[in-house]
Amino acid sequence: MSIEVRTIHISKTLNTTAALTDVSTVFDAGMVHGVVGPNGAGKTTLLRLIKGLLHPTQGKCEFTYQGKVCTPQEAISRMGYFPQEPSLYPDLSVWEHLEFFRDLYNLGDKDFNKRAEELLAATGMTPFKDRPAGKLSGGMYKKLGLMSVLLNRPSLLLLDEPTIGVDPVSRQELWDIVYNVAGPEMTVILSTSYMDEAERCAKVHVLQNGHLLAAGQPHTVMENLHVTNFAELFLKHE
Amino acid sequence: MNDTIIQVKNLVIAFGNFKAVNDISFEVRRGEIFGFLGANGAGKTTTIRTLCGILNPTSGQVFVNGTDVAASTAVLKPHIGYMSQKFTLYPDLTVRENMDIAGSLYELTHTQILNRTEELFQFIGLTDIPKGPVRQLSGGTKQMIALAASILHDPDLIFLDEPTAGTSPQTRQAFWELIRRLSSQGKTIFVTTHYMDEAEYCHRIVLMERGRILATDTPANLKAIYFPQKPIELTLTGGNQQAVAQEMRRLSLGEVSVFGSKLRVNVTDHTAFENYCQKHKADFTTRPVDPTLDDVFLKAISGAK
Amino acid sequence: MNTRAKHIMAIASKEAKHIKRDIFTLSVALVLPMVFVVFFGFVINLDYHHIPLTVRDNDQSHTSRELLTQASAAGYFDIISAHTPLEAEEQLQQNRMRGLLIIPHGFHTAFTNGEVAHAQLLIDGTDNTMAALATTYMQGIVQATQQALLSSHEPPTAAIRTRYLFNPELNSRWFIVPALSTVIIGFLAIILTALTVAREWENGSMELLLSTPLRPLEIVVGKLLPYFALTFFDVLLVFALALLVFRIPFHGSFVLYLTACLFYIMGALALGLLISVITRQQQSAIQFGFAIGLLPSFMFSGFIFPIENMPAFFQYVTMLFPQRWFLQISRALFLSGSGLIDLIGPFIALFLFMTGMITLAIRNFKTDVEP
Repeated sequence: MSIEVRTIHISKTLNTTAALTDVSTVFDAGMVHGVVGPNGAGKTTLLRLIKGLLHPTQGKCEFTYQGKVCTPQEAISRMGYFPQEPSLYPDLSVWEHLEFFRDLYNLGDKDFNKRAEELLAATGMTPFKDRPAGKLSGGMYKKLGLMSVLLNRPSLLLLDEPTIGVDPVSRQELWDIVYNVAGPEMTVILSTSYMDEAERCAKVHVLQNGHLLAAGQPHTVMENLHVTNFAELFLKHE
Repeated sequence: MNDTIIQVKNLVIAFGNFKAVNDISFEVRRGEIFGFLGANGAGKTTTIRTLCGILNPTSGQVFVNGTDVAASTAVLKPHIGYMSQKFTLYPDLTVRENMDIAGSLYELTHTQILNRTEELFQFIGLTDIPKGPVRQLSGGTKQMIALAASILHDPDLIFLDEPTAGTSPQTRQAFWELIRRLSSQGKTIFVTTHYMDEAEYCHRIVLMERGRILATDTPANLKAIYFPQKPIELTLTGGNQQAVAQEMRRLSLGEVSVFGSKLRVNVTDHTAFENYCQKHKADFTTRPVDPTLDDVFLKAISGAK
Repeated sequence: MNTRAKHIMAIASKEAKHIKRDIFTLSVALVLPMVFVVFFGFVINLDYHHIPLTVRDNDQSHTSRELLTQASAAGYFDIISAHTPLEAEEQLQQNRMRGLLIIPHGFHTAFTNGEVAHAQLLIDGTDNTMAALATTYMQGIVQATQQALLSSHEPPTAAIRTRYLFNPELNSRWFIVPALSTVIIGFLAIILTALTVAREWENGSMELLLSTPLRPLEIVVGKLLPYFALTFFDVLLVFALALLVFRIPFHGSFVLYLTACLFYIMGALALGLLISVITRQQQSAIQFGFAIGLLPSFMFSGFIFPIENMPAFFQYVTMLFPQRWFLQISRALFLSGSGLIDLIGPFIALFLFMTGMITLAIRNFKTDVEP
């Protein structure tokens, strides 16, 4: 079952800078959400707050699972998160990574083997099973990260800039995977600084300088803010 | 004066058995903004390095300003500006100190450096030269200053390797504005990027994949060539989005991708697609949309395979 | 296997793969101990022959001449006579000789009367190894002289009183090699683990680990295991070299020695992890590692400076460092063969250090990415 997230007047100060200021928005269950904004807008901070890797200075996150409000701990244990920064081990191979996460998520061998083969096939990574992560292209690296978190079948998938530095083909593949997994079983929240990707999301949450500029369906947001594309939005609100 | 500033003929650059650049040929005209597009690992940086004379071609020829680069690097270097992807400025030195270093590498006198720095800072729109170490500057300012440092010696030909990677939309916009102005002053700009939307600003672009060139042309021509018919956007009025997407994929009508609540289809089988739309009139509305260079790239690659 | 054990093993086997594939770590871990052993075992302990020795013989007797004959016959010393005290002084100051033997009037008389016959040996202590050897040689020479002059085996009646100039401490190989493991572990173990957690932070993988169900204890213990194996191997290597190459006797209990190693290695590795957990940066971790690992290993362990000779305050300071305790155990087991009862204090200290460090490393392990 997918999780719904509400951020309620959430603010976060990192060292002395305000990374997020009073952000209230709803990430509806089962949808593909895009947290959109330029570098430094607060996208990563928002994802980390949801995952519990940072704690809000003010406000809170509220989670709904199976129609009931659940504790952050329970929600966090049902989340999968792949950070933006390279975070895999360059010397471990694709398969070794999957095995490592199998142990961390405590998956049974039978379940794991089936799931891993499925994911490898879906991402087209089967031929690269034995390649070390340090020798993967940008797109394959992100796909491996995505597989690692998908192994556990999370109810909420958090992806920080999954398409950064990724070639157009892999980018398209990543989006296809995202739309394949999203649905009644999984909510997806991803961040992107590619403005042309905003329109690919079912719902966008536009951040600038730590403030929520708008949230809603891409075309509604554009209409409301009187722009024809998302890049224009940031140039206008400079 | 010759109209062609860079001429590359059958260039191959191999590292061991791996051909990073595999038999490419192209020409760059004087005063042009020439975009070199491709994914990471397509061979963009390798090509730039060879053009600057810091990497020797395995085979093939590279002429810059009519001279063979491999034979006479030293002669060419004063005419070339190169802003590399990795190293730009020394973070622990001030802007002035960085400029002095850049200037002295090209044997400029102290007065020349001072005058040029003044001139360039006006050009990039910085009235006050920041005093502190470069480390303290914002990413955008750093990029601008790095550009200034690489063109301090007033080269005719400027190589920019991923100049806007990881910067904000504002910085990217401002940076491209500078590139356009340099081009209007008669400078030739050779720029690599993996942001497809930036490629729109280029006069001509090369699409590169795995060491090979897929296409070379103006952005408008490329769109026209690869998309005689525009992609179609479907807005669903009834029915299940995933189901529609699956069905269209099953019928091989074209490349289908989900865009939020909409679908975008690069139609390959037009008659079948028309029929399908007729049949499911109630489920969605369609409208043609302009293809992006991303779409062009995808199509070029799928064509190459 | 329960979840916790599974997680620990997952981290441990991942870490083992890193070690196996990282030539740098592996070579540091395997080459460094060898370098230490060769350096301290061989290079520093060159055998000295023909040490220039000035002799001021004020006795000019049969006994004193026999002593000098024995000294030069053995080949250890080259004897130069000084005819006046001033001449002797000059030679010493001009660095032309490394020692001065003064035989006073009445040496022969005292010797033949069965009293203690005194002579004074002054040795240049700047080279402590040479000084130590010279002293040992001289003691042997005295014995040989006695045996030559006296038919019966009477108790020694001649005594050389030795004063070390410039450097009051002296080491010998038997003293150094059993202590080498102390330095190697104290340094190597800390450096090895100081890098691991910091590397995960810099590599970005820590954020990913923290977003899995892993707990700090599992990460800490998982990381300790493979490095323990590596360091333990080093210890056994040094131990084998000490016995087989340097022929140093081991009088104590091997089990006891291994137990001490276990506590000490685990404690040092955990200290390294603690540094890494706190600094989160490889560069500062390595700086801290050097400061905390290398310095106390040499300065406060008793390796170079005997703890008994330190001012009282510093004697207390050394108690904070496990190096001191392990060194004490190691020397005692090698040279005197003490049992657990004699060493119970150092063992308790090492155990407390180990448990303390592991606890601190786990406690300080952050489970979020707050700056």
